[in-house]
Amino acid sequence: MSRIQYYSISYHYFDKKPNLMIKETTIALLLGVLVLSCESNTYEPERQFEDIQQQLLSQFILAEDSTVIELPEGQFIFNNSLILDGKKHVTIRGKGMDRTVLSFKGQQEGAEGIRVANCTAITIEDLAIEDAAGDNIKITDTDGVTIRRVRSAWTGKVSEKNGAYGLYPVICKNVLIEDCEVLGASDAGIYVGQSEDVIIRNNKTWWNVAGIESENSENVEIYGNTAYNNTGGILVFDLPGLTRYGKNIRVYNNEVYENNLANFAPPGNIVGVVPKGTGMIVLATEGVEVYNNKIRDNKTIGVAIISYELVAAISAEGEASEGEGSAQTVNNNYKEDKNYNPFPRRIYVHDNEISSSYILPALNNDFGKLFLFNFGFSLPDIAWDGIRAPEYFAEDGTVNPEYMICIQEGEGVKTTDLDAANDFDKLETNPDIFKCKP
Amino acid sequence: MKQVLVLLIVGSLLSCGAKHEQEKSLSPDAKSVVWQMPDTATYARVGKTKLSDYGFFKGKLANLEPTDRVFPYDINTPLFTDYALKKRFIYLPEGTEITYNEEDVLEFPVGAVLIKNFYYSHEQLEAGTGKILETRLLIHEESGWKALPYLWDPEQTEAYLEITGRQMSVKLASGIGVAYAVPNMQQCKSCHDIGGKIVPIGPSARQLNKVHEEGIENQLAQLVAMGWLKEAPAQDQWPLLVNWEDGSASLKDRARAYLEINCAHCHRKDGPAKNSGLDLTRNAAASTMGVFKAPVAAGKGSGGLKYDIVPGKPDKSILIYRMESNDPAIMMPELGRSIVHKEGVELIKEWVRGME
Repeated sequence: MSRIQYYSISYHYFDKKPNLMIKETTIALLLGVLVLSCESNTYEPERQFEDIQQQLLSQFILAEDSTVIELPEGQFIFNNSLILDGKKHVTIRGKGMDRTVLSFKGQQEGAEGIRVANCTAITIEDLAIEDAAGDNIKITDTDGVTIRRVRSAWTGKVSEKNGAYGLYPVICKNVLIEDCEVLGASDAGIYVGQSEDVIIRNNKTWWNVAGIESENSENVEIYGNTAYNNTGGILVFDLPGLTRYGKNIRVYNNEVYENNLANFAPPGNIVGVVPKGTGMIVLATEGVEVYNNKIRDNKTIGVAIISYELVAAISAEGEASEGEGSAQTVNNNYKEDKNYNPFPRRIYVHDNEISSSYILPALNNDFGKLFLFNFGFSLPDIAWDGIRAPEYFAEDGTVNPEYMICIQEGEGVKTTDLDAANDFDKLETNPDIFKCKP
Repeated sequence: MKQVLVLLIVGSLLSCGAKHEQEKSLSPDAKSVVWQMPDTATYARVGKTKLSDYGFFKGKLANLEPTDRVFPYDINTPLFTDYALKKRFIYLPEGTEITYNEEDVLEFPVGAVLIKNFYYSHEQLEAGTGKILETRLLIHEESGWKALPYLWDPEQTEAYLEITGRQMSVKLASGIGVAYAVPNMQQCKSCHDIGGKIVPIGPSARQLNKVHEEGIENQLAQLVAMGWLKEAPAQDQWPLLVNWEDGSASLKDRARAYLEINCAHCHRKDGPAKNSGLDLTRNAAASTMGVFKAPVAAGKGSGGLKYDIVPGKPDKSILIYRMESNDPAIMMPELGRSIVHKEGVELIKEWVRGME
């Protein structure tokens, strides 16, 4: 779309002003823009594939406990997932993320590139993995996961046809993901779900819908990461109907900037609700501390703290317009899960550097419009949807400590309670309302 | 100048759009065409390298004529695997017994082997005679169940252990081309997994509660009479899973039976897909079996739809979208088929259409 616009503008321009100097400068500029606009979202490394599928499959299957599977330097293509199941202390090691490449381009069977299930102490390191049909690396039901110096990518132009997750441990314990690079995931680059005792550190993620996402996980440390050019930088989510719920999460010392990529998640996925220009979202989780992060130039919001009620309302709105289902049904569905609490609680956001040089939010979403409408050119940096749990107030009218939302930032960081439950009636921007410590 | 400019711009447009066609050797797909002898020397440490080594069958192996301790059975509603037919057997060691179980798969003693042969009949194939493609064994050892796939040679004289799986193209008489996939040893467990352990899926009391298609007596009754099955209650108390094709059964029971055998081995509380929160066992409550349930990690498997099942609207239901796909990133089940099961999809559509 934008390319065509550039083209027509330029053409028009020259007709009117036949000045050679201007022309050439403009040409250079235009071409520059064109080249940037495509190259900035396209990853096309050169590849010459070899086929070692049979040998490697055999190695994976026959791997005994404490095996190190050493992968040679080279670029290898597979039409089927590589599966490790029921193994202990196995390491899969390449010669470096630029030297050992496993590609699943055109995969015919299985949805994952590497799939690990029911294992203990598995390490995957020093390799690149590309273009799996679904998730590049999925690890499930495993105690002890290390993913280190792995580049997980989808090649070509960033697209909703890309797989969902770059690195995806789910229902795992003792997870370490470090020094990885993840790009191109149509859901989350690094996604840890329904897991316990997790460290995600010193990774770089870009061109994903969500850079890093912790979902329904407990005891999670997310630090030292760089999340940029995603739709949303770092997400901490709790979703209903799952095997376990999240709490006790710390997000610190991360750099989260320019997450202004258009959301390219296939509709129907929860990350599809993330507006472009989002630094961080904390959704419905208990005990989240966000501090010492550098969050800048995310067009729509630096940090959003929201409840699942808001998400349900947004989905219900979409439905009403499509004339199917009803808000009531959606609400009831998550309310049926008695173990699920849709409200963010014991949230503590403090000592972050948050700024944005953008005057306007991204306007392709309700939040952006809402912010512009309510705040004009003075956009908030941190917003709480303000939807309060029934238990939010204790009997004496004070805030129930279990439900506190506390924000303590330096001067110039703008905070707001949106009061979204009441049509923003009591929208509040006085930072004092968040002065507490859980 | 104008033309040059246009050319330049168009050129740069093209250079972003065009794919680098440098991948000379693309996916290794057609390797199945030529028969390749499995690496039996390496595989010997995994298990017996030939099917005949077990002595399950007498006479010509391909006739699958069972020996004394081998019992043929079939089940009410089978898994769809590209229209392949199956001949199933239980091998039970002398002096051992199977224990009845009301809900789960029957409890097989150590030493028991479940034998499942996948074949296409003469009538099903476009050319040549019928052929057995593979035989899968589930062997109950002291340490648990072990799954081993055996690949039949083209002459149909022997089946060889092949742990890395195989793809073969099969042309059906109906004109449908099948990319039949023999699973690799790890893939077996992608389905045969409860709580991280390999388990059989088919032979539950409710699946076995039927007369064998070539027999005259109820299979469970036979097992009891033979003294192979203990602790079974009276026949009128045996549960029954309906045959998904049985038009006299209720639509709901047929649909739930179909989903149970095709989906619920993973989509159950303790199965490999428990992370999705979707439970397709036949008695799961509406919300957990997908009614207005939003997907959790479906990726493009959502197909742009919001819920697994929207009552009355099969075309808005992710469940059906994924059953109708052949894309490995979208299709469900993930393994076991390369083509869409039209008749199965029709059944589930009809059921969803009638849901309120």
